[in-house]
Amino acid sequence: MSEEENPAAEPLPVQDVQGDGRWMSQHNRFVQECKDAEPDVLFVGDSMVQLMQQYEVWRELFSPLHALNFGIGGDTTNNVLWRLQNGELENIRPRVVVLWVGTNNHEHTAEQVTGGIVAIVQLLHSRLPKAKIIVLALLPRGELPNPLREKNSAVNNYLRAALPRLGPVQFLDVSGGFVHSDGTVSCRDMFDFLHLTASGYSVVATPLHELLLQLLEETPQERRASLV
Amino acid sequence: MSSDSNPAATPTPCEDVQGDGRWMSMHHRFVSDSKGKEPEVLFVGDSLVQLLHEFEVWRKLFSPLHTLNFGIGGDATQHVLWRLTNGELDHINPKVVVLWVGTNNHGHTPEQICGGIMAIVNVINQRLPQTHILVLGILPRGKSPNPLRDRNAKVNELVQVELASLSYTSFLNVDPGFIHSDGSISHQDLYDYLHLTPHAYQKVCQPLHARVKALLEAHVP
Ligand SMILES: [Ca+2]
Repeated sequence: MSEEENPAAEPLPVQDVQGDGRWMSQHNRFVQECKDAEPDVLFVGDSMVQLMQQYEVWRELFSPLHALNFGIGGDTTNNVLWRLQNGELENIRPRVVVLWVGTNNHEHTAEQVTGGIVAIVQLLHSRLPKAKIIVLALLPRGELPNPLREKNSAVNNYLRAALPRLGPVQFLDVSGGFVHSDGTVSCRDMFDFLHLTASGYSVVATPLHELLLQLLEETPQERRASLV
Repeated sequence: MSSDSNPAATPTPCEDVQGDGRWMSMHHRFVSDSKGKEPEVLFVGDSLVQLLHEFEVWRKLFSPLHTLNFGIGGDATQHVLWRLTNGELDHINPKVVVLWVGTNNHGHTPEQICGGIMAIVNVINQRLPQTHILVLGILPRGKSPNPLRDRNAKVNELVQVELASLSYTSFLNVDPGFIHSDGSISHQDLYDYLHLTPHAYQKVCQPLHARVKALLEAHVP
């Protein structure tokens, strides 16, 4: 599927329908942070990325890795693509990028969402050829089985097939840990059956942190080497 | 203004446009959670109530007061009104209800939003006549000055006037001064220029906790 045919792979800013300009304010702040920081790890995505920064786990596990968090609640693949093409990759050279987006693509099919994520990965490769990329699987949502869970699970299956062809990309799927044997998702893991609680984040953060450490070890530190 | 002509004061369930049924699942959970719990305090409202539950400050300050949290992200006054008239108050008799809602009432005027908040206050008072209702001022939003900040400030003015004559309810402005002298709001306080960081919840919750404790001790509606 080409980008032209896929509405999920079209870069789009969020329209300020509410009228307080919050989305653009956040994007502008991230662009500014690129000028001030030299992150080794960049997190980019939707509220799943954004909210992680509000919990202790961010300070414990990810801040120490020199990580920046470019998560915006409600973002789709379109919005992340637009942000990354409009300044959020300028002036930084992270060694690893963690991408977590897609559950908000309500108007798109599983194939289209996958194409949108693939388009972001391709953009990251072209802008940051030395960086490794971790794509996090979409999580189940809703207390009970529902079509959006099936869609997210289909996206994960497509990603598992598509990502290995794209180069140094790791797919990390921890989605299986959230659906109980009776088909329910617990509010102890997802307080609104979508967003993670502090303990829900630990299910994701532990394997993610291990993978990050491993990738950072494998990836030479360009900047410091060039200083020598 | 009658509730018939005010959409903010007309009980309305949140439509499941996304298709995962989360809103109704949360409502059902609140109703079933409330059975046999006998909370002293109930928090009800939108994401600002809901997220409070996820941070340490909740366990430190509010859990010990036997508090239930019925917050749902995105809720406007008409949604809270629907929830409270459809089971969430049926099994409890808290001494204090903390109400914090209104910033999501997009497309409504300050007068309509105030009407929505007053309709909720009325419903709570009718169902729980011994309960004190503490209405929290809605917060400024957006990094820079914008119409929604003005709207929220106007709602607070109107609500304060309405509440002043009622003995069973009071108003608390919990904004510790989020707007800096240059008109900006910091992401250290409102991480997305709407929702509070744990640090900002600390600032909001100190006076809030003190007021709730005082109301519990006074134990008069
Ligand atoms: Ca830089």
